[in-house]
Amino acid sequence: MLIAPILLPLLSMVILIFTRRWLVFQQTFSLLATIMLTVISLTLLLDINTNGIITIQMGSWPAPYGITLIGDLLASIMLLTTSFVAIVVMIYSPGFIDRERQTAGYYPLVFGLLMGVNGAFLTGDIFNLYVWYEVMLTSSFVLIALGGSAEQLRGSVKYVTISFVASIFFVSAIGIIYGQTGTLNMADLAYKMRTWDDMPYINSGLMLFFIAFSIKSALFPFFFWLPASYHTPPVAITALFAGTLTKVGIYTMIRFFSLFVVQDVVFWKTFLLVIAGLTMSIGVMMAASQFDIRKILSFHIISQVGYMVMGLAIFTVNSVAAAIYFTVHNMLSKTNTFLAGGLVYQRSGSYDLKYLGGLYKTMPFLAILFFVPAMSLAGIPPLPGFFGKFFLIKGGFEAGQYVITAVAILVGLFTLFSMIKIWNEAYWKKEPDDMPEPGPVSKGTLVATALLAAAVVALGVFAGPVMEVCHAAALQVTSPEVYIEAVLGN
Amino acid sequence: MILYILCFILFLVGLYGVITRRNVIKIVLGICIMEYSLNLLLILIGYVDEGVAPIVVRETMASKFVDPLPQAMVLTVIVIGLATTAMLLAIAIRVYKKHGTFDIREIKNLKG
Amino acid sequence: MSTGLVVLLLIILAGVAPLTRRYLKGMAGWIYAVFPFGGFVYYLSLLPRINAGEVITERFSWIPVYGIDFSFYVDGFGVLFSLIVLGIGTFIMVYAGYYMKPYPMKGRFLGYLALFMASMLGIVVSGNLITMFVFWELTSISSFMLIGYYHEKPEARMAALHALLITGFGGLALIGGFVLLAIPYGTYELSVILTDPAAIQNSNLYVPALLLILVGAFTKSAQFPFHFWLPGAMAAPSPVSAYLHSATMVKAGVFLLARLNPVLGGTDLWMILLTTFGATTMVVGAWLSITQTDLKRILAYTTVSALGTLVLLIGTGTKYAINAAIIFLLVHALYKGTLFMMAGNIEKMTGTRDITKLGGLYKYMPFAAVVMGLALVSMAGIPPLLGFIGKELIYEAKMYAPTARVVLIAASFFTNVVLVFLSFRLFFDVFKGTEPSYEKKPAAPSLALIIGPFFLVLASLVLGVYPTAIATPLTSQAVLSISPFIEAITLKIWHGFNLVLGLSALTVLSGYLMYRHKKKVFIVADKLNIKYFTREFSRTFTTSIDSFLVFAKGQTKNLQHGYHRFYLMTVFVVASVLVWTMIWRADPIILEINFSEMPLNLVAVVVLIIAAALSAVTSHSRVIALVAMGVIGFGIAIIFIAFSGTDLAITMILVETLMIILAMALLLQLPAYKIYSDTGARMRDGLVAVLVGSFMMVMVLQAGTSQLGEPISEFFKEKSYTEAFGRNIVNVILVDFRALDTLGEITVIAIAALGIYSMIKFTKNKQV
Repeated sequence: MLIAPILLPLLSMVILIFTRRWLVFQQTFSLLATIMLTVISLTLLLDINTNGIITIQMGSWPAPYGITLIGDLLASIMLLTTSFVAIVVMIYSPGFIDRERQTAGYYPLVFGLLMGVNGAFLTGDIFNLYVWYEVMLTSSFVLIALGGSAEQLRGSVKYVTISFVASIFFVSAIGIIYGQTGTLNMADLAYKMRTWDDMPYINSGLMLFFIAFSIKSALFPFFFWLPASYHTPPVAITALFAGTLTKVGIYTMIRFFSLFVVQDVVFWKTFLLVIAGLTMSIGVMMAASQFDIRKILSFHIISQVGYMVMGLAIFTVNSVAAAIYFTVHNMLSKTNTFLAGGLVYQRSGSYDLKYLGGLYKTMPFLAILFFVPAMSLAGIPPLPGFFGKFFLIKGGFEAGQYVITAVAILVGLFTLFSMIKIWNEAYWKKEPDDMPEPGPVSKGTLVATALLAAAVVALGVFAGPVMEVCHAAALQVTSPEVYIEAVLGN
Repeated sequence: MILYILCFILFLVGLYGVITRRNVIKIVLGICIMEYSLNLLLILIGYVDEGVAPIVVRETMASKFVDPLPQAMVLTVIVIGLATTAMLLAIAIRVYKKHGTFDIREIKNLKG
Repeated sequence: MSTGLVVLLLIILAGVAPLTRRYLKGMAGWIYAVFPFGGFVYYLSLLPRINAGEVITERFSWIPVYGIDFSFYVDGFGVLFSLIVLGIGTFIMVYAGYYMKPYPMKGRFLGYLALFMASMLGIVVSGNLITMFVFWELTSISSFMLIGYYHEKPEARMAALHALLITGFGGLALIGGFVLLAIPYGTYELSVILTDPAAIQNSNLYVPALLLILVGAFTKSAQFPFHFWLPGAMAAPSPVSAYLHSATMVKAGVFLLARLNPVLGGTDLWMILLTTFGATTMVVGAWLSITQTDLKRILAYTTVSALGTLVLLIGTGTKYAINAAIIFLLVHALYKGTLFMMAGNIEKMTGTRDITKLGGLYKYMPFAAVVMGLALVSMAGIPPLLGFIGKELIYEAKMYAPTARVVLIAASFFTNVVLVFLSFRLFFDVFKGTEPSYEKKPAAPSLALIIGPFFLVLASLVLGVYPTAIATPLTSQAVLSISPFIEAITLKIWHGFNLVLGLSALTVLSGYLMYRHKKKVFIVADKLNIKYFTREFSRTFTTSIDSFLVFAKGQTKNLQHGYHRFYLMTVFVVASVLVWTMIWRADPIILEINFSEMPLNLVAVVVLIIAAALSAVTSHSRVIALVAMGVIGFGIAIIFIAFSGTDLAITMILVETLMIILAMALLLQLPAYKIYSDTGARMRDGLVAVLVGSFMMVMVLQAGTSQLGEPISEFFKEKSYTEAFGRNIVNVILVDFRALDTLGEITVIAIAALGIYSMIKFTKNKQV
């Protein structure tokens, strides 16, 4: 059961590669496969929620020798959110992405990406994690360059080279950790780290890991590739990336922090808090000066990753629960704003606020579809962004971390500013005279965006039960013994 | 010992190539060189003095084997590296066809 | 269920209104008004229970993990406030339904209005800080939508943005304050928090919690120096000004202060802050209102002043002050709602709301003039309207204030004189005096437009004439909710001849004199304004936003400059600094460099590789570069063999050959390299390379020397042949022990192949 979220995308990818010419089949099959993936993820989540952590040993070689796949609540929450985002993107894509791109392998690549992402969520082995990262990244390279417009190629050169650098750091970290500890299994490593007193160079290895992950999750000062590349491919692809890719980095960071930071904990926490604060504020500042909807949103991805790191760095049950909830919210809301931005593009032929306007009057429904996730990102209740922020503030204050919490609160104001800027310019402003001819908005894109907006609202209204699961997940994360025991036994 | 130094120098040269060169192809080469150094590093980590190849033949003692796991990892890394480098090359060529140059300074996107 | 049900019904109305407006046409306002009116009647029916001392609560579980519930808490103060919200809301609905007729998108407008009504009601009846906050922010959002109703005008968008930023900022501070406040209690339930002030007041969280909550309340209630958004918000249509910006939303901050008075109040800090800010706002608002000429802006500044008065009264916290606050709250809501609606009517009928362009309207709309006149009498604090009782209580409160009596009385006196002056001005300059030439002939406002003002003024009159019978039951419990140790004063319109009455008389007289000499007053005020009050807060706010944007733009250019090389360099430099820090934090570096055992042939290979690497990076010929790459690859393969990695060597050679063939095929179509980089930067780049390379070196050396545990590969060595039936352990690892890695690896190849294929193919089909 645990391997299904990896095998299903693999199988789908293979099928889709060989059927690239049959467009309708590709579209339907992809949608069905993502729905099935969501069902599987949901079953997993429910199962883990009642019965505790599930593990399997690949090839039935015992841990720590074989590769462990392990599903805890955190992993299954991420799986579920990812696959839901994938459904939405699959509904959205047919009406948005041009035919050439769709038949050039868009669908199989999406499943390649999903396979990598899911693998990264589920694996309990650091080298295996690297492999999944590469699966995910290779798919994203192709997706970002797919179609090969000049802008895309420029973006992808930056994206790919910086990702390469991250991979180099990743592999050397694996080598160094393995050289010292002789193990690759995460639970085993965590266990051993808790038995040795003196591990002089473990922290340097961890720092290498941290650098690799923070490049992938676009933390300050490693974020350059994201704003340079995310706005270039069709917005459906950007939305998929925004919802899944950077969040894998955060997920891994949470995992590693929980399992491996046993030495010099205070340093790590302070260090992460500083990074979180800088990431939040610099991201939001850079967003404020942009005029392209996609760029504003891209910079906000950076800023919001800062919030997640903040929750992680405080590392109390409440703050980690907040970080998890915030991540889920962000995956949904962010994807949703990107998709809504795509609708604006379909309608008006531009992403540039200078050339947009009047959409509130002409397309009220479209306006709502943007307003809901945008206000969610800005932290307006009762949308989930508010709860995410509120839980983080609560976690921060309770832990006595006043400075970072104050920063987080202030950053919220600037987020609100950016969102209102889009709203004022694209929706409220009178349409400029030289606005391009309005185009039709296709039904699929509209339905997909509406579905996601409904999910965003639901995430806020049902914050209670969702938070309960996040809280339980945070309990698992903050007590790594549970994880270790699930893999290694007593 | 000399291999450590080789590893170091290769990494250095590759890195130097990546950051000094503005040519996309050179950047790719630089990254490849860094990857070589990385592979070497992993092998060195698994090396045992006087070790033999990890192939089970009756007369060799298991303790004499070099660590096979880093070797397996290196194999994976090499293959993945090949795939991704080829990707990057393909992108570079497309960039060239679009812009008529490999100079990333000329193809930079100011706002990006 | 029912207290919350009213809120829910109004939210439903908000959703329904935009869809049904077009079918209901002109009747829409009347029909929608049934909702708030029903709520009004319902809350009125609760009054006997409340007056018997009961607090009506309801609770729905929401986020049980953190003790956050959707709960309602209706006490005397809550019921008074909800009556104001729903009562005025009823008339506003009727008024707006008619007023907005000529404008587009009125359905949405009425929907936002209903949403606002729901959230405002939610604030005043919520029993949980988080519930309250949800509604609090919803009022900000619905107010944003309403202020920006004329959204094609830049100034409306600007005003909406300002209001939202200011109240949004306050909201953020407020949620921080709420979180801090709740920490000692472990719950957000008001019923718990209100009964135990000691828990927070003895905690060191008190001061930060108080400050944050005050920021929230002050921004919402437009206290100095945040007051400027309120006059700006007059860009909204008149029904909005009448409802949100006089009677309800701006009072939310005051409501919050009063609500939390039992738990946060009573300390010196509370008193000092509230009285200082309240008094300043009161005077500043009054002063700035003198020279305004726009009817709505005049009213807006007097609203600012009134809000200051309320904050001041709550801060004073004595028996008279609290009683005065409650009465004045009611008084102000009644007359200010009327006046704003009338201002809207006048604008609608004459096409202007500039007081200098108005006059002589009495003969066109005598009834409206009487209604407005009565409201102004209430504002001026002249009997027999409720305003008089309010003003008397305010003076009385100042007389019994614990400190700074003289200053407070002087401030109040000044404010009230200005109010009297404005009352005269608003009546006589609008309805009497010379008649300018109107664009169209003014007509009397129709029923829907006048019914609201009429009933509100009527209420003011009735409450003023029969204070004990009608007003006291409304307010007595409210006083207890704000401060449980204070008894309600029996309201009377006639206090006998005393100092306060004398002061009142003096106020009216001074106000009248001021009106008589208004020209001189304007000249003096303008002079003073030019000399001392040149700073316009809204402009300062705009410029600071602009300069922030300029700053942000500059920083963005600095950070996201687009030079790829520097991105990479930043990554490397920061990475090496971080890793060096970690190495330095660990034990000192011990390097055991041993050059003795160096097989000569290996040295030769190594030298060859290095030379090849250097030429690969530096050469200008791509053929040389590729050959050099080949040399490196084969050299490393040789090293692998020397280190017993036979499989590796084979793979390496294969991969290398493949790569070179591929690269040749691809690159040979292209021209030779050009020299792209200059020499100046090479030193720096070399330094970066050394910095990064060296930490790698140190770490690898350490990793090689300090083995902490037995590697898991011992297991593979043992089991490879016995259980996995393979002699070549590396192969066994790849296909059996760690088969999942290999699966991933193959996937990567497949994806890359697909990618390269589609990239090349795409070129043929379509040149983008």
